[in-house]
Parts: sequence; C-alpha cells; structure tokens
Amino acid sequence: MGENERMDDAGFTHEILKGLPTTMVPATLAARILGDFDRVAARPSKLTAMLARIGERLWPGAPVWQPASVLAFSLVIGLTAGAILPSPGTAAAVSDQVAVAALDATPDMDMD
Amino acid sequence: MVIDPDTDLVARVGKGDRAAAQALMARHLPTMLALARRMLAGQAEAEDCVQEAFLKVWTHAARWQPGKAKFETWLYRVTLNQCYDRLRKRPTEPLEAAANVPDGADGPDRGLETAALEVEVSAVLAQLPERQRAAILLCHYQERSNIEAAEILGISVEALESLLARGRRTLRMKLSHLRDGAM
Repeated sequence: MGENERMDDAGFTHEILKGLPTTMVPATLAARILGDFDRVAARPSKLTAMLARIGERLWPGAPVWQPASVLAFSLVIGLTAGAILPSPGTAAAVSDQVAVAALDATPDMDMD
Repeated sequence: MVIDPDTDLVARVGKGDRAAAQALMARHLPTMLALARRMLAGQAEAEDCVQEAFLKVWTHAARWQPGKAKFETWLYRVTLNQCYDRLRKRPTEPLEAAANVPDGADGPDRGLETAALEVEVSAVLAQLPERQRAAILLCHYQERSNIEAAEILGISVEALESLLARGRRTLRMKLSHLRDGAM
C-alpha cells in the first residue's frame, strides 16, 4: 500500500466519522450514575463494617458505641490492674528465688 | 510526572464529594458514551457500559494514585474493557441487526441523510475486529493523538498504526460509495 493511498484512507475515514451525529447524554443516565455515587458514598468503609460486625456479635442489636465502650472500659480496668497489682506469678518467682538462695548459701552454722 | 487536570476532582470524589462527582461525570460522560455507542452499536448497552465504568470510578477514586497515568486514559481503558466484555458475551448477530442503531440524539432537526449515513457506517464499524474499531474510533472519531490512543489501548504506536491502516482500508473499501454523499 503506497503512502498516498494511506493518506487517502486516513482522510476518508476522518471525514466519514466526522459526519456522524453527536451522542446526547440522556438525563436518566446521568441520574443513574449519580445514584450509584450516592450508594457508594453511603457505604461504610471496610474497617467500619468489620467493627460493626464484631459489635453485632458481642452485643446483638445494640448501637456500635455500646460494645465499643464496654471493650474500652474493660481494657482500661485491665491495664490499671496490671500496672498496680503485682501478679501472683511474680510473687511466686520471688519466693522461689529466696528458697534457691537459701539452699545455695554457704551453711551459716558453727560445726564446732 | 503526568499532569492530570482530573487529579483534584478524583481526590474529592474519593472523599465523597458529590459536586466533584457531578463535575467529573459532566467532563467525561459524553465522550465515553459516544465511544461506547460506536463500539457497541447500541444506545441502551452503551449506557449500561458507561454506568459500570463510572461505578468503577466511584469505588476506586479513594485509592487513585495521581502521577502514574492520566485519569482519562484509565477511564477510557475501563470503558473499552466493558465494551470488549459485552462484545464477547454477545451472540453473533447478522449484519442487519448490527446496523440497526437506536439513536440517543433523535430530534426533528436531524436529517434523514445523516441517519442513513450513521446506520451504514455503524454496520461497517461493527464488522471490524474490536481492536481495529477501537483504534479507528479513538483516532478519527474522538480525535485522540496516536500516542494517547496507543496508551489507552496498551500497545505501541507502531501496532496502533498497523490497526489504523487495516481499519481505514476496510472502511474505505466498504463505504467508498458514500464519498459523494458524505464528503
């Protein structure tokens, strides 16, 4: 195919397609598309949806803030208790250490 | 870094700004609908296709990363992919059916000649392989540059030129009788 022929083909195609009427956008289509936007915008984010599901399991039928407050309150109580009260495990370890120290210590007695 | 006039609008759409969504739609809907209508040769199907493309925009806007590609290029790709999907799902139809293009722009001032031209051109366009059709429509109907069209189609400029050459040849061979009437 020669260069001139290619140019002719391009010119012909361009003019033929330029002669086509323009496409009008129906108002109903614009409304449908904006309706989709509204639905997507109203949809909660994945994190919010996940929290809501957890809340629903913990406290069915309650608004999300109720299980969230209970969990937060429990967390605060737990952390405070952990910070203030010594754990029984720690106490046991201390007493074990005392016992070990007592056994390892040089007998402090007069053999004479 | 690609300078994209839509970056701000897309970011606002991602934050749920309805006015931005409306502005973005007003800017691109007519072009996308026209492309889909010529690709699919049908108004109702083109509308569904464009609606799905915009639904993708609304759902992906929050994650849009500016600077990688122009938003418009991405939107063209999404719209064309929707068209390809529909074309592939379609049962093979006779040429007469493909030529029967319902018109979204019917009006009293529209001439019969234009309507006849549209039917005939649409029928020949429908016979082109989908990639050739897309290349022809992007470059000659939507007047995108070869570089832009190649980017939209995800091919090299040389490959685009090859698609264009074959498509133009077919159109000219099949529509040469329109030369006197249309040109």
